[in-house]
Amino acid sequence: MNPEHPNTPLYACIHAAEFPVQALLRLHPELHSEPLSVLDGKAPLQTVCSFNRHALLKGAAYGMTRLEAESIQGLRLATRSLEGESTARVILMECAANFSPRIEEASEGTACACVLDIAGTERLFGPPQALAQRLRAALASVGFHASIAVSSNFHTARMKAAATRGITVIPTGQEAASLAKLPLDALNLDAHHAETFVLWGIRTLGELAALPEVDLVTRLGQQALQSRDLARGALPHTFQPIEPEFVLTEFCDFETPVDQADSLLFVGARMIDCLVARASARALSLASITVRMALEGGRIHERAIRPALATADRKFLLKLLQLEIAAHPPQAAVVALTLTAQAGQSSKVQLGLFAPQMPEPSRLDVTIARLKAIAGEKRVGSPVLEDTHRPDAFRMESFAVASPSNAPVADHPRMALRRMRPPVPVRVVLRDLKPHAFRDRQQNYQVEAAYGPWKNSGGWWSADDWDAEEWDVLARGASGSSLACLLVRDCRQNQWRLEALYD
Amino acid sequence: MPSAQALRIQIEHTLERRFPAALSPVPRTVRETAPTGIAEVDDLLDGGLPVGAISEVTGPECSGRTSLTLSFLARCTQEGQVCAWVDAEDAFDAESAAACGVGLKQLLWVRCRKAGSQAGGKPWTRLDQALRATDLLLQAGGFAAIVLDLGGTAPEHASRIPLATWFRFRQAAGRTRCSLVVLGQDTYAQSSAALVLECAPRYAMEEQETVLNGFTYEVRRGRGTTEECTFPINRVRKPPASTWQATGSWNAEMRA
Repeated sequence: MNPEHPNTPLYACIHAAEFPVQALLRLHPELHSEPLSVLDGKAPLQTVCSFNRHALLKGAAYGMTRLEAESIQGLRLATRSLEGESTARVILMECAANFSPRIEEASEGTACACVLDIAGTERLFGPPQALAQRLRAALASVGFHASIAVSSNFHTARMKAAATRGITVIPTGQEAASLAKLPLDALNLDAHHAETFVLWGIRTLGELAALPEVDLVTRLGQQALQSRDLARGALPHTFQPIEPEFVLTEFCDFETPVDQADSLLFVGARMIDCLVARASARALSLASITVRMALEGGRIHERAIRPALATADRKFLLKLLQLEIAAHPPQAAVVALTLTAQAGQSSKVQLGLFAPQMPEPSRLDVTIARLKAIAGEKRVGSPVLEDTHRPDAFRMESFAVASPSNAPVADHPRMALRRMRPPVPVRVVLRDLKPHAFRDRQQNYQVEAAYGPWKNSGGWWSADDWDAEEWDVLARGASGSSLACLLVRDCRQNQWRLEALYD
Repeated sequence: MPSAQALRIQIEHTLERRFPAALSPVPRTVRETAPTGIAEVDDLLDGGLPVGAISEVTGPECSGRTSLTLSFLARCTQEGQVCAWVDAEDAFDAESAAACGVGLKQLLWVRCRKAGSQAGGKPWTRLDQALRATDLLLQAGGFAAIVLDLGGTAPEHASRIPLATWFRFRQAAGRTRCSLVVLGQDTYAQSSAALVLECAPRYAMEEQETVLNGFTYEVRRGRGTTEECTFPINRVRKPPASTWQATGSWNAEMRA
């Protein structure tokens, strides 16, 4: 509430002019000092819809065609990205939501504007001037330059913020005086009324506010009365707050397709920074990031990064992104990059004094990603035995630091097998239906003892069936070396193979 | 004529400012050990495999190297620790590991592939992949044991691993308190290994004629630097050895 008038409302309007340019510069800070114009529309009918101050000094103007804009030396041209602007608008709203939960959007044209109901926030942020300064600084930290006006009248704050730069605080009762010098364009009058006022010689809001009420209504009707109230800063407004959804998404549309991973990561790093900052503002971390790359030709390449624990470590997330892109590079040049993050609670792990040492989850994620880059995506993890009698049946699952297993340790040491992957085909000589000798690729073996056969079959109801006969064989090679192995005869094809060694 | 002891004391006293303890052996710390779970081997090793050091388990195929190592991992996982198996030849058998009692959820298995690829360069061999993976795991820390399985790798290839690599592994293992077990057909780590175990097959247990019940293996302590050095350096003696038995999981008598 206004400290001077405790029962009056108080509004702060944020007005970010030239929003298409600002949305672009947010992810490309290196372009801040360059003249930049944004073109809207479909080629070849593109026209300039937004530009920065450097471009204005070079001679850029609204409505210029691409050809005219290209004729200005040194002027950089970019295509308007509505998706990028939408993402930037969400970020601006989120930043504003840190100061007041009641926000109404008031965007017009290429500007992004919103009005905050800041009544009752003095204890949190101080007087309106201090709040406006903090709000402007917060917006600057996320890459937006905005003008802010504070007033007890909604429309006064909105019009004043659009017409001025910097911070303006209008005391209660001074609305008409503060709006008096603004041009009539600030009211967005329809063509008929605007023409009439010009004929009457009225150029500013102050001159409109001075017109007699009854005579004005008699000549131009109730709409003219509303315009007069607006000019006096006295038009009431029913506040309609929006409920901004918290979506952690960053979007970047590239001017030219990017095929270098380093260039992609350069932009990705900036986007991760923004995501982390936004999540941290709500005391959250990032649990996962989905990377969506729009490729040349219209295809989409999508990857996901899922750290073991939700984290707000920028370098760690960037490293994971780098490893993911290196392991799964896009098959074509990238034209747009979208990062969507899922927020998670910041992880807090209480370590026990006598707990065994464990790998640090964040470092383990990076290590496993690197191991996958070396050995292959599905060749790193924890083995899980399948519920089947098929020999050597297992699947790989991603490794995570798990609680200790309750599997009992064998009382006596067990014989272990070393698998041959793939199995080695052997030629076997049988005697009395038992293996008597066999030969692998290198040498002959004389069987000293053969235990078996152990029949094993299954999966007959599917194409993936098996039918095998296993023999535990003790053999001695021609060189005198002994061998204890598992010989298997595939009964379907009557082929022998060396599947494993006892070691 | 002074005795040898008195002479030594006199020389050391004279040289103590320039060469402290010139003739006395440098006292070595007794390294912490982790049990292998095989009583005979633990007795032989005075407790088990050294923690924070490289242990080499060597021997020909079918000499019980894998059974011994799996038994060691089973002990580690039972205590809630996590382990890794870097499998150069993709020979690890998950069923055997589970039968030995290894907690598979606490085991990170790295299966090196035949045609490893390197972005923009020549393909990595299985051995290269295994060494790089081991290096990464040691640097990451937190693993109680890492097994570098070179059991199926030809010795002429594995012996070309530079000594600098083993030295780096030793340093990293010591820093992260990780037992690095190198499974191979020969010794490769040379002086970087704190312990060398030489395994050999003895005979199969043949109480019955129809079922292979198990094996008896021989294990010999090749070289170790974990014990406190109290003997003269030039002392020569036969390395201690022991035998142990591994049985099949189907062996009902041993199970009972």
